[in-house]
Amino acid sequence: MSETLDLSLELKRMIIKTLELEDITPEDIDPEAPLFEEGLGLDSIDALEIGLMLQKHYGIKLDSEAEETRQHFASLNALKALVEAHRDH
Amino acid sequence: MSSSLQIESWYAWSAAPVSCAGDERHDIASLSDLEPLPPLLRRRLDQAGRATCQILRRLDPEAACPIVHASRHGNTSLTWGLLTELNDGNPLSPGRFSMSVHNAVLGLHAIARDHRQPLQALAACGDELDALFDEALGYLAEGYPAVIAVFSESALPEAYQGLTSHPAAPCVVGMRLAASPDQSIADRPFAHTLSLLFGDNAQPTPLDVIAWLNDLDDQQRLERGNACQ
Repeated sequence: MSETLDLSLELKRMIIKTLELEDITPEDIDPEAPLFEEGLGLDSIDALEIGLMLQKHYGIKLDSEAEETRQHFASLNALKALVEAHRDH
Repeated sequence: MSSSLQIESWYAWSAAPVSCAGDERHDIASLSDLEPLPPLLRRRLDQAGRATCQILRRLDPEAACPIVHASRHGNTSLTWGLLTELNDGNPLSPGRFSMSVHNAVLGLHAIARDHRQPLQALAACGDELDALFDEALGYLAEGYPAVIAVFSESALPEAYQGLTSHPAAPCVVGMRLAASPDQSIADRPFAHTLSLLFGDNAQPTPLDVIAWLNDLDDQQRLERGNACQ
């Protein structure tokens, strides 16, 4: 399994655990689908929770007001790209 | 202003293994036609919170009544967890913080049911039933035909055990209350009525209220039986 696939699964598992998504499995999360509202259906508190998760696990600090933060949170693949970019620095 | 209340219907739940209601039709866990809570809502609630929302849906299916929710202690497992995290120097979970406020369960219920009537969450140092009845009378005096009063206690963390009175298990009771000129279950001032029902200085928990409602049902059945003879 490639490293990016591993990271995708790792993020899915982390989101499920952090947000206590009891009925969701990693397979249920479409990596291209929106995480918020339609798609997975998460809300603004979940966004804060994911922000904290990224900070704790990857040392990524995001500005909650910045437009690019919105883009990083658009889908699982967008989050993955953010973590990968941060690792490359 | 009328100062009397009647109970139109009631439901209960407790984590105890046997039904908490004398008649299973009052036990929310025994109802087979219960619509499940939306998963994204359910995940944020503990057992008592889930039962509270189910009871509210049952007592007020049209989301048309004001709701008063009383809990002496609220979700102390959450607040204890947050205090422990703070003590350890860890950042707080925004989700858990949002659910640690006293009106969190009613807030989630209102979002899930698009409920737009008044909502009130209170704690009254053991006098929750008295406070629920008083608040309900206020809404009835404003002209609402019925008010939902729900009383819950969540599990108490081990750190608090022995330091406060608490029913041994999580439990919830909800009543749909209306004004009653003639068949009142309790009259103002409620403290007097409640001391007759629960003893002087009693601080009834949801479990005590459930026991009282079971007794009321038994009395009514007995009266109906006598009337038929």
